[in-house]
Order: sequence, then C-alpha cells, then structure tokens
Amino acid sequence: MSTDQSLVFIIDDDPSMRASIESLVRSVGHTAQSFASTREFMLSELPEVSGCLVLDVRLPGQSGLEFQQELARSDVHFPVIFITGHGDVPMSVSAMKAGAIEFLTKPFRDQDLLDAIHRGLEIDRDRKAEAVMLAELRQRYKSLTPREREVMPLVASGWLNKQIAAELDLSDITVKVHRAQVMRKMEAKSLPDLVRFSDKLALATQKR
Amino acid sequence: MHSTSKSREDHLFLLTTSLSGRDQWQFAIGVLVVLVAALLVTVPFASIALEHTEALLPAYATAVFIVDLVTATLLLALFSVQRSSAVLALSLGYLFSGAMILPWALTFPGVSASLGLPDAGLQTTAMIATVRRLSFPLFVLAYALMKDSDTFLRTPQGTERNIIVMSVTGVIVIALALTWLVVANDDALPTFMRDEMHVSDLWHYVPATAVGLSLAGLLSLWRGRCSVLDLWLMVVLCSSLIEIILLSYVSSGLRLSVGWWAGRLYGLISASIVLLVLLSETMTLYARLARSVLAERRTRDARITAMEALSASIAHEVNQPLASMVTNADAGMRWLGRSPPDLPEAKAALERIVNDGHRTAKVIDGIRTMFKKGTQERVPADVNQLIVETLKRSRSETHLARISVQTELYETLPLVTGCPVQLEQVISNLVANSIDAMTAVSSRERVLRIQTAPQGSDRILVSVEDSGSGMTPDCKERIFEPFFTTKPDGMGMGLIFCRWIIEAHGGRLWMMDNEPHGTIFQFTLPRADAPIFLTGERT
Repeated sequence: MSTDQSLVFIIDDDPSMRASIESLVRSVGHTAQSFASTREFMLSELPEVSGCLVLDVRLPGQSGLEFQQELARSDVHFPVIFITGHGDVPMSVSAMKAGAIEFLTKPFRDQDLLDAIHRGLEIDRDRKAEAVMLAELRQRYKSLTPREREVMPLVASGWLNKQIAAELDLSDITVKVHRAQVMRKMEAKSLPDLVRFSDKLALATQKR
Repeated sequence: MHSTSKSREDHLFLLTTSLSGRDQWQFAIGVLVVLVAALLVTVPFASIALEHTEALLPAYATAVFIVDLVTATLLLALFSVQRSSAVLALSLGYLFSGAMILPWALTFPGVSASLGLPDAGLQTTAMIATVRRLSFPLFVLAYALMKDSDTFLRTPQGTERNIIVMSVTGVIVIALALTWLVVANDDALPTFMRDEMHVSDLWHYVPATAVGLSLAGLLSLWRGRCSVLDLWLMVVLCSSLIEIILLSYVSSGLRLSVGWWAGRLYGLISASIVLLVLLSETMTLYARLARSVLAERRTRDARITAMEALSASIAHEVNQPLASMVTNADAGMRWLGRSPPDLPEAKAALERIVNDGHRTAKVIDGIRTMFKKGTQERVPADVNQLIVETLKRSRSETHLARISVQTELYETLPLVTGCPVQLEQVISNLVANSIDAMTAVSSRERVLRIQTAPQGSDRILVSVEDSGSGMTPDCKERIFEPFFTTKPDGMGMGLIFCRWIIEAHGGRLWMMDNEPHGTIFQFTLPRADAPIFLTGERT
C-alpha cells in the first residue's frame, strides 16, 4: 500500500464518527485529515497531493449532495465516497450519477470503506499523473515554432513529407527538418507517440 | 353499569345529552312570552262563539297528527341510537297523542255528519279528548322520571328495531281499542257534555287534572341536568297549559268559541315550533359531530406523520452512534492486528466506543421521555407556570451564556387543555434553540424574551424571541424538515416534535424574523374553555 503523497479527507459532523473513520484510515497506513463541515474543508489550505473525500450526506448547513455539486463547479476533483445514516435509493442514484465512487450506509463494513478509499486514491493518482503529463506536453508544445506547429498536426495525421511540402508550399528538405525538430521537441520516440500527444493536446484544447 | 356510562359518552351529540345553551333558553322563554301575550290578547274575545267552524276541524286534526307523528319518529330515531327507555316513553306519548286526534276529530259533533259517518254519542268526543289530555302529560312525566336514572336498555344491540315495531304496534292497537270502547259504549260514559256546545260540571275535573300533571311534569323536568330536549319539552308543557287555560277556563269550555280555537291554534303553533327547533338542533348537533370527527381524524393523521418522523429519527439517532461504534471497533482491531500492536490507538478507539454507548443510552432515554406515562392524558394546564418552570431549569445555562431573560406573561392567562409534559418539552425546546442561536452573538445584548397573551376569544399566543443572528432564507424554508439542523450535535427533529405536539393540541407553530436581529417562534393553543373542548372547565 503506497502511503506517499496521498490524503483522505473526512467530512462528518459527528465527532465520534469522524474520529473513528480517521482512526480506521490511519490504521491501514493512510494519512487522514478530518473536518466538521464542508465550510471548514473549503477554508482550509489543501496540500497539492492526490486524495479522496469521505463525505457524510447529512451535514449541518449544506448537505453532502449539494457540496458534491459545488466541488464539481469549483474545479476540485477529488473522488467522493458518501456515507449516510439514512440512505435511500434515489439519493444514492443521484450521488453516483454526479460521480461519487461509492455510497455506503452506516454502519458499513470497514473493508468496503477501505476498498472504496483505495479505489478513490488510485483514481485520483491516475488523474493527477494525467494532469502532470498534460501540463508537460503543453510545455513542450509551447517550445515549437509557428511553422513547426503547422507541420505537427499534418504529420500526426499521417501525411507524407511530399504532401506536407505541397500543402505548406515548402521544399521536401525543409519539411524533413521541421519534422525532426517536432519529434525532438515533443520528445516523441516514434510516430505513434506523436499521434497520441497530438490527440491529448487536441482533446485538452477542446475541453478548455 | 360500566357499559351504560360508556354509551352515555358515546352520545355526546344527541338532543338528550347535549346541554341547553343560553341562547336556547332565551329563545324558549321568548316563545313562551309571545304565547302568554297572545293569551292575554285573546281573553276579551274568548267567549264569542264561531258557528259552523267545525268544518275546519279535520284540517286542524291532520296538522296535529302530522306534527305529532314526525316528532314521534324523530324521538324513535333518537331511541334507536341511545336506547334510553325514557326517550321511548316520550316518543310513544307523541304517537299516542297523534293517533287519538283522528277519532277525536271524526267523532266531533257536525264533523261526522259532514263526512257521512254515523253520528257518535254525545260524550264520545269529550271522552277521547280526556284520554288525550291526561295521557300526554303522563308520558312526559314518565320521561322526566326515567331520564336521569340511566335506564338504558339491557337487551343486546340490534334489538331496537323489534322494540320499536312492538311498541308502535302496541300503541296503535291500544288507540284503536280505546276508540272502539268509547264509541261502542257511549251510554256508559261519564257525562262531560251538557249538549253539543257546552260542558258539564264533571268536565272541569279533566283540565284541572291535566294542569296538575303538566305542572308535575314541568317540575320533574326542571330539576337535574337540562338537555336541549328537556328545555323544549318544558315549552311544550307550558304551551299546553296555556291551551288548557284558554280552552277550559277563559272560554268556559264553550266549544268552537274564539278562546277554544285560539287555544288549539296556539297548541299547534307551539308544537310546530318545538318540532322545528328539535329538527334544527339535530342538524346542528350532527354538524358539530361531523366537525369533531374531522378534527379527530386530522389529529390522528398528524400523529401518524409524527410517528413516521419519530421512528425515522429513532432509527437515525440510534444508528449514528452504532455506526461509530462499529467503525471504532474495526479500527481498534486493525490497530491491534498490526505488528507490533498499537495499543494507544486501540485504547483510544475503545474509549470512543464507550462514549458512543453512553450516547446511545441517552438517546433512548430521551425517546422514552417522549412516551412517558401521562403524555397522553389531557388536563387543564397553565402555560405561564410551565414557562416559569422551564426557565428555572435553564437558568444556569442562560446565566452562563450571559443571556438576559425577559418575560411578559399575561397575568390572567386562560388555561389550556393538554399534556403538561409535552407542552413543557415544546417550551424548553424553543428556549434551548434561542439560547443556541445567541451563543455566537457578541456584538449586542443577548436577550431571550417570552410573552404570553390571549388571542381572540378562544386561543392563547406564546412568543419566544431571541436576539441571535436570525436565519438565512434557505434555513427558514427547511427549518421544519426532518433531519434539518444547524447545530453540530443537533438531531434535526426538535422543531418537528414541537410542531407535532402543538398541532396535536389543536394549535399552530410558526417562526418569523425578529427586529432588528434574531428569530421569533410563536405558537397558539386553544383555551380550555373554547367550544371544541366540551369537557374543559371554565375559569
């Protein structure tokens, strides 16, 4: 079980429940941080680590479900595990639809919660790695010259040097040089690598 | 014995059991005053004879017959519900009186001839009149003597129909037999009439006896509880006294005179008024019954909803520490299962389990007080006193929080009918809410103000105000929802219970903003002497 750089956030208004979950999480080697309300959580400085949220549905002030929606709006993407004392089917359905990874009814089996936490942390780690990767790719893309940025999508689309040269009104040799530069700057070891990077960047651009 | 007293309670809304109100007394006395005035107006003209008016007699007799029959039917219906033999006797009296008016009119001199019937003897009509005159007050007397002695039928339910059929048949048979006896044995009858128009001296014993019986009936109706039916029976007896005075004394027994006719008409008019009043009273009582059934159903519905909320809250309140205990135990086992075992962590988990256990016990204790013995019983309660006691108990809390408590309790606040334990729960819940709302306030004075006052003529109003931070619109909307709470350790059920209790007591609970800061919770409760609580005591 990897313990480095991951945090479990617990939000529950019941002090004893909070302490018990925190203790359970720590007993398997995770680091945990608990909060009595969603407000307290939002006001605290969150370290830049991967993590997941264990959230009580019934909270003073804002309910856990409302908070889940607020999180999504405010660009906090921790996976959410709901726990509830009076779970009903419609509530769990809407929670799962909104992207919760698990909906547990109190009292729950400890293994169920821990499994969900592991899953959540893994998801968040993957997401974080993906984000890091994307940031890196953007950095590399930035270092390309305007001409190289014109050449890159055409290369990634499988065009031959000759076709690109005709399209951009360049000589074959120049295209070849640009192409080599793109591969080097984007740190693509092969054409498929470049295709993948280009895909990701395009997707990311679309998403923005 | 037990069953009879129970059946009494079941029929709170019958003519014989609902007490006559003040306005009914006024109305009854008004009717009597009008009749007496009419009597006095008639006196000077009483002896003027109106020739050949016997043609109107069949119409008069039919009217009397119908009024008596309808009254008898109404009373029989009452009997079938109440099974009181007094009511049965009275209804048979009306039936008998109605049945005897027909032979009386048919044998009246001049009437039989115009209808083509063989002429009856001279004494026949007077004899039938005598039987009618004397029998009716006797029946009323029988009713008056039986009504307070709880002579309800001992026979099993469902036999009323047979009893009614049998007694009605009996009365009709007796009426027919008597008529036949009188008509067939005219010669043997005592001499009441000198001729077709004038009574003999012997006749004067009849009205005198009738007056005596009527007075006896009046007296026995007067004593004891006076129900709506009793009141109007007294009116009937009084008007029949007036009728007798007019018929036999003022007009000196002269048949078909102004006084004679006036007496008959007054009798008919008052009988009709009585019938109409009884009918409208029946309708009013029926409406009141329907209303109370409706109110009862509403209370029951509110109770069911509250029971659902209650069971949900019990489940939640017990589940919460239970879940915590399970998770703590799991964590503890994992701490112990590590190598080496982490004893301090395991110990901390066990301590939390102990606390959770105590917490659960407290929750169950709280629930138990909700259902404590005596929470169902309704007694007259002084809300002011409940407030004073509640404040006394929370004095240390308000003192600690530096809250100044102001009370404006209306000195002669009417009592309410209810369960003091539950009402006190409501007050202490609202007080606790106010205290909690003000603990965060530091920029201004913390004031808890409780006011009581009568509202309208049938309710009291209680206000609990705080100078706390008030509520957000979102809060206000959801404050009466189950599980909604703004407190870290709140159960989100307090206000629901308050509202349930107040509504179960026939009142309302709501909240509004206090100026310039804070919140006001207000509730109303019906006064103990409000009409809907018939058993309430006047203060």
